[in-house]
Amino acid sequence: MLYGDGVGRTSVCLDKIGDMNFGLLLQQTLNGLAIGGVYAIFALGYTLVFSILRIINLSHGAIFTLGAYFTYTLAGEAFGFNGVLARAALPLGLPFPLAMLLGAVLAGLTGVLIERAAFRPLRTRNADPLLTLVSSLGMAVLIVNVIQFLVGAEIYSYPANALSILGPLPTAINFGNETNAIPVRTIQIIIFIFSLVILAILTYFINYTRMGKALRAISEDAVTASLLGINTDFFIMLTFFLSGFLGGIAGTLVGLSVSIAGPYFGIAFGLKGLAVIVLGGMGSIPGAVVGGFIIGLAEAFVPANMVAYKDAIAFALLFIVLLVRPRGLLGRSGVQKV
Amino acid sequence: MKRVRFLLLALFAFTLLALAACAPAATTAPSGTSAAPAATAPAGSSTSGDPILIGIAVAQTSNTALLGQEQVIGAKIAEKFFNERGGINGRPLKLVFQDTAGDEQGAINAFQNLINKDKVVGIVGPTLSQQAFSADKFAEEAKVPVLGPSNTAVGIPQIGEYISRVSVPVTVFAPGAVKAAQKLNANIKRVAVAWAQNDAFSKSETGVFQNTVTDTLKLELVTVQTFQTTDTDFTTQATNIINAKPDLVIISGLASDGGNLVKQLRDLGYKGLMIGGNGLNTSNIYPVCKAACDSLLVAQAYSPELDSQINKDFRAAYEAEQKKAPPQFSAQAFTAVQVFVEALKAIDSKSKLSGMSLDQMRQELNKQIITSGAKYQTPLGEIAFDKEGEVIQKATYVAQIKMNADGATGKFEFLK
Repeated sequence: MLYGDGVGRTSVCLDKIGDMNFGLLLQQTLNGLAIGGVYAIFALGYTLVFSILRIINLSHGAIFTLGAYFTYTLAGEAFGFNGVLARAALPLGLPFPLAMLLGAVLAGLTGVLIERAAFRPLRTRNADPLLTLVSSLGMAVLIVNVIQFLVGAEIYSYPANALSILGPLPTAINFGNETNAIPVRTIQIIIFIFSLVILAILTYFINYTRMGKALRAISEDAVTASLLGINTDFFIMLTFFLSGFLGGIAGTLVGLSVSIAGPYFGIAFGLKGLAVIVLGGMGSIPGAVVGGFIIGLAEAFVPANMVAYKDAIAFALLFIVLLVRPRGLLGRSGVQKV
Repeated sequence: MKRVRFLLLALFAFTLLALAACAPAATTAPSGTSAAPAATAPAGSSTSGDPILIGIAVAQTSNTALLGQEQVIGAKIAEKFFNERGGINGRPLKLVFQDTAGDEQGAINAFQNLINKDKVVGIVGPTLSQQAFSADKFAEEAKVPVLGPSNTAVGIPQIGEYISRVSVPVTVFAPGAVKAAQKLNANIKRVAVAWAQNDAFSKSETGVFQNTVTDTLKLELVTVQTFQTTDTDFTTQATNIINAKPDLVIISGLASDGGNLVKQLRDLGYKGLMIGGNGLNTSNIYPVCKAACDSLLVAQAYSPELDSQINKDFRAAYEAEQKKAPPQFSAQAFTAVQVFVEALKAIDSKSKLSGMSLDQMRQELNKQIITSGAKYQTPLGEIAFDKEGEVIQKATYVAQIKMNADGATGKFEFLK
């Protein structure tokens, strides 16, 4: 094989070796890991809620979008010409990392509000989980429309110097050499590293802190946990906060990489996140992480002439895995409660 | 169980309410109180009598709203502009807006509302060619004239007798952009093409571009990449394109996806020329590709620099409101309203509109547009229509984006 040697060849030759090229392989792996990291963080938001309440929060995609807009607002950027808040901006912008953190906190608080408005009233009445699915979908539609009402459908992007705290950054880092460049966008590498950090912190929190242990106890058996003195309502709220926080962070990270493409830009991620948790195993935290990276990598390795079908391919992969392992890759078989 | 049912009902009612509150409902447009009065408005021309209703069915929600919002602005400016100049021989004109959103069903609903409920004489819309192929048939069946403000795919006027457009088809202006690129770099030999395969217009546009590259200009097409308009991550396509070592990249998509592809190509080190199709023909791509938008070539059906009285008036009204030069989509929406107004005026001068039924008025209006051979002096320059309803536009343009140092603002500079 002509690994890494494509310079000066005819296009036909280049096309033929293109798919087998080692540089390309490395490049697509890094691309896949970067997007996979974001999928993982985002899907963890779904997983946390599912593991505690056994329901899917369909407003998670909208919270993802909201987190990106919160960060944009807090960074002191002005809105466009359409929407009620046309041309408005905060008088003072926060430094980007702080805006991102605070944006995620606000997204988390929105998660708590959604729990109060769409989940708790149904839960206290012991409603069918399917109804909760619908009410969370209603919240998603509401949030997306409110965003458009307030700030229009325009595309927004974070200031070019958003990451200036890290010093002057090149737009891409070359993993090859002069003649045979293997460039990977710097922002994707940053996102990948940042995702790993978030995943590490969350794993520590769940496994080694008192609060994390309480959360795990509730997810095992909510009734027994409350008999043991764990304040279930508080921990459910905490779960929604964490879920919203993770969704908000993921939204900002994606916005940083590809801009905020309007109020609807979380919808595709909402679906992808569902695929990730089903693939990894519903309610399994390591499953969400593994699922995120698998789907990210699978998308990156879709052959060049099929790239536009990468979503379809990701879901086909999901389908095949479910045929073999109906509970997902890391899902545990649960005890059927009658 | 009853309580749950009640709660569900309440939730749905609330969601519906929220949607109704947020989606711009079918209202007649407030005639742009913020728009500055055009400098040349003739004094003392006033309108009276029942207004004549023209429907505007464009995307005010969904990701297509980026383009639709520009069309709404253009149409509202036209409404105010022509009413200040006496409307339709003294009768005021009133626009009725229906949101099509970004899909086919939304466009069909908007058309049906305008035809049956709002009873308009003609419709300007929809935003996307993809939507036009579904919705226009309903107007054709009801014999209501349609002017496509931005449908540039091949085959739109051929949908039916009542379907015309003011947007010059992609076949006319796309080749100009490739020739402009050759003027900037005489050594272009290898060309890469990328297009959004879920969009009818992008498919039609890329076909024209690819034919121009291979058949007309005999250049080498080194790779063809596809994507979806909803995609955001283009590293795979960008990597494939760069590895094919092109001298020119041609992108057919919409603002958000196309802009991201432009940015990611530049981020990964592509240094050659790029052409953006009609979907990238909007300043809305600035926040997406930022500094990387610089030097992107975009074929244009409209130039704000056009030296004519109507364009100067339109530009002044637009700039007073939006603080920037008008984009093509606003100019085309203005033009579509203008064609309806002038055609109605011409009919009224021959036999009074007030004596006609709605059906008669619709049929006469269509006849006037496609058979009179009338010429219209519009912000796009002089246009006319052939018997199929296809627009005949004299001039097309090519612009190159120049971004300012801040990387956030820029402008389309028109190439000579």
